[in-house]
Amino acid sequence: MREEKTRFDFNFAQLRVLRAFAVYLFCGAFLVSGCNKNTATDSSGAAAVQLTLDWKPEPEFGGFYAAKQDGAFSRHGLDVTLTPAGEGADTWQLVATGKTQFATSSADQVLIARKQNADVIAIFAVYQTFPQGIMVHQSRGFKTMGDVFTHDGVLLAEDNAWLHFLENKFAPVRVRITYYSGGVSEFLAKKDYSQQCFVTSEPILAKHQGGDPQTFLIADEGFNPYTTVVICKGDLWRAHPDEVRAMAAACREGWRDYLDQPDPVNATMHGLNADMDLQTFAEAAAAQKPLIETDQTRAAGLGTMTGDRWKDLADQLVKLGVIDSSVDPQQCFVNP
Amino acid sequence: MQIAALHKVFDNDVVAIENLTLKIGRGEFVAVLGPSGCGKSTLLRIIAGLERPSSGTVEIGEGRIAYVFQDAHLLPWRNVLRNAALPLELMGMGRAQRLAAAREALGQVGLADAVRRYPAQLSGGMKMRVSLARALVTRPDFLLLDEPFAALDEINRQKLDQQLRELWQRHRMTVVFVTHSTSEATFLANRAVVLSSRPARAVADLPVDLPERRVASVRSSPQFAEMTRQIYDALERGGA
Amino acid sequence: MKTRRTIFSALWPPAIVLVAAVLAMHVAASVLNESFLLPRPSAVAKVMFDRRDELLASLWTTAEAALIGFFASGFGGIAVGMILSASPLVRRAIYPYTVFFQTVPIVAIAPLLMIWCGPGLAAVALSAFIVSVFPVIANTLSGLLSTDPALEDLFRLYGASRWARLWKLKLPMALPSIFTGLRVAAGLAVIGTVVGEFLVGLFGPGEGLGVRIVSAKKQGRTDEVFAAVLIASLLGLAMFAAINLAAKLMLRHWHASEQDN
Repeated sequence: MREEKTRFDFNFAQLRVLRAFAVYLFCGAFLVSGCNKNTATDSSGAAAVQLTLDWKPEPEFGGFYAAKQDGAFSRHGLDVTLTPAGEGADTWQLVATGKTQFATSSADQVLIARKQNADVIAIFAVYQTFPQGIMVHQSRGFKTMGDVFTHDGVLLAEDNAWLHFLENKFAPVRVRITYYSGGVSEFLAKKDYSQQCFVTSEPILAKHQGGDPQTFLIADEGFNPYTTVVICKGDLWRAHPDEVRAMAAACREGWRDYLDQPDPVNATMHGLNADMDLQTFAEAAAAQKPLIETDQTRAAGLGTMTGDRWKDLADQLVKLGVIDSSVDPQQCFVNP
Repeated sequence: MQIAALHKVFDNDVVAIENLTLKIGRGEFVAVLGPSGCGKSTLLRIIAGLERPSSGTVEIGEGRIAYVFQDAHLLPWRNVLRNAALPLELMGMGRAQRLAAAREALGQVGLADAVRRYPAQLSGGMKMRVSLARALVTRPDFLLLDEPFAALDEINRQKLDQQLRELWQRHRMTVVFVTHSTSEATFLANRAVVLSSRPARAVADLPVDLPERRVASVRSSPQFAEMTRQIYDALERGGA
Repeated sequence: MKTRRTIFSALWPPAIVLVAAVLAMHVAASVLNESFLLPRPSAVAKVMFDRRDELLASLWTTAEAALIGFFASGFGGIAVGMILSASPLVRRAIYPYTVFFQTVPIVAIAPLLMIWCGPGLAAVALSAFIVSVFPVIANTLSGLLSTDPALEDLFRLYGASRWARLWKLKLPMALPSIFTGLRVAAGLAVIGTVVGEFLVGLFGPGEGLGVRIVSAKKQGRTDEVFAAVLIASLLGLAMFAAINLAAKLMLRHWHASEQDN
């Protein structure tokens, strides 16, 4: 029987060499892409960086999407990819391990990160006032935040520093506390359920679905970390201060744009996150304005931070046992 | 036992037994032989009531039936005594009574010392003896055995053949013993029925002309050899 | 003496692996030098000692839910297996749906559990039950259906009732299978408990290991995360060992025949 020889008849040895080569190539590509997420420049000379957001596209990130859409990033020489994150690794870990150059986090998370010897710093604070609150059913007739903790019921909350702060403040606690996994469905299902909320988000959602939410602001109880702060590695600030300055400046412009004209950017974000309808986007954008633009920012600029606020927060966290005094609050931030 | 025009067809249209007629008197020891797969096990199961004939009749006189399988099939979580007592237990006999009966039956097969042991600790021959004792514990009138000693080595097999023959002489139950072995049939039985290959028909019905009391030495007698030869011929005729 | 030698020969291979693993972890943690990703084994040991009271309290909470869920799986699973083995029609009707227990993601069901029975022990134990019941059902059923036909004939010959067949023949015969199912269920019950605690466990003093894992992770205390995970694994191991011991005791007379098979 004649053997048909085709073009692709390699002998066995050749096949093995080819296969080894392919494997090495694959591994090499994998390694190279995994390492060195340092700033690479694209063809236009703009620095290509990633900004990882710690939730889905919602008004709390409006200014960032505005900066991209209105060109603030590119005007400052930055080619920014906005990556909304889900649950999972805390964003400071992503920054500390070099998986992303920039991310959004909160001031208390920055202090916790630095306690773990991760050198991350905050460079821009969107929320001057802590936007977290606790949402209850109006029919419960609660008058103060303390009522939530001292009465029966179930509280859905993430196990964050503010929760411990409130538990300590209102001890002894009677409410049963369990994990909050997002949404408002459990809250709506049971009248004796309360939940944590982002004042611009869940209360609006609950009201639209026929609920009767009443919100108590955590900042009013004395716990007030800067929130949705842009963080990056301390190394980046020391090595490329211009890039960090550019990021902060672009954010400032983007947030200015968004505060003045939220609708076009809301439309873009709604396209990326259909879970929230445009009406809610608009209401949320309006509700968050006073938390973002305050007398402090009118004087010193959007997103700026003060050492006093950081010190207060650090002291609180030390008292809660979340960090120790080894963390220097002044090292946690810059106003580039 | 009266078997008339017995006909058995399986679901897949295989005819196992065709028009078999057989009469067995009380107290007889009948050996049933035939080629592999000819239907002798099926016949035994029909007699025991474990399977129904497709047509024909099987009439059995009054009395209890006991069955011994090819493998001992003991319950591994029970000791020898409780294994032997099982039939009486299933029939509802009280504990003390049935254990005493089991002890006695085990004594008859020479296992009086092993009552506390578990099947995992027994040899193949001992397991088979327990199975035998289990069959005897109800003092059966009919004892049906399906190649029970086929898996044993020659020495144990002959020992058990001897033991079975003695038990039969003592109790005189009606025995139907299915076997492959012409020498075993000759040693044990008064009558050898040879079936053909499937579908089974009776090819020969031979009386075994040997003394009542049989000891091992009878196996070397010329009458023994003659008998086995006759049975062998019958098997050949039947298409073995 | 033989026993001492046997115990030693059984223990030293896994002990070597354990030492090697701890060493490897130490080296990796030192090289990586990011304690929030991989803590040093010494840090894990330290936090286990420092916080032993809290971790012990967490262990009891988790163990309580895991054991309740496991026993529910055990008894419930065996009972369902027995029912399914009794009737082919019932079996064909119901069995496909028991697989649902195996495949449903707890993350989706947990909020429903919480609405029905509130967060805490009931919901967590239910989570453990849901995750661990199917292997018990499947193995019980398989064990009950695979009996020796000759023994069935024997029972029939002596006129045994259906109940006698089940109780004296099928169930004892199915025991090795049932124990296999229980072994798998033990580990799954712990997993189901911890995952349940992730989702609907109660915070506060004496919070379960799962809650502790989530909290500690949130606060960057990875050494405590590893410690809690280790303790949860040890709980699973302890339950598994207990089942094995029970199996050994109940099946001790089978042993040689089990080996033969």
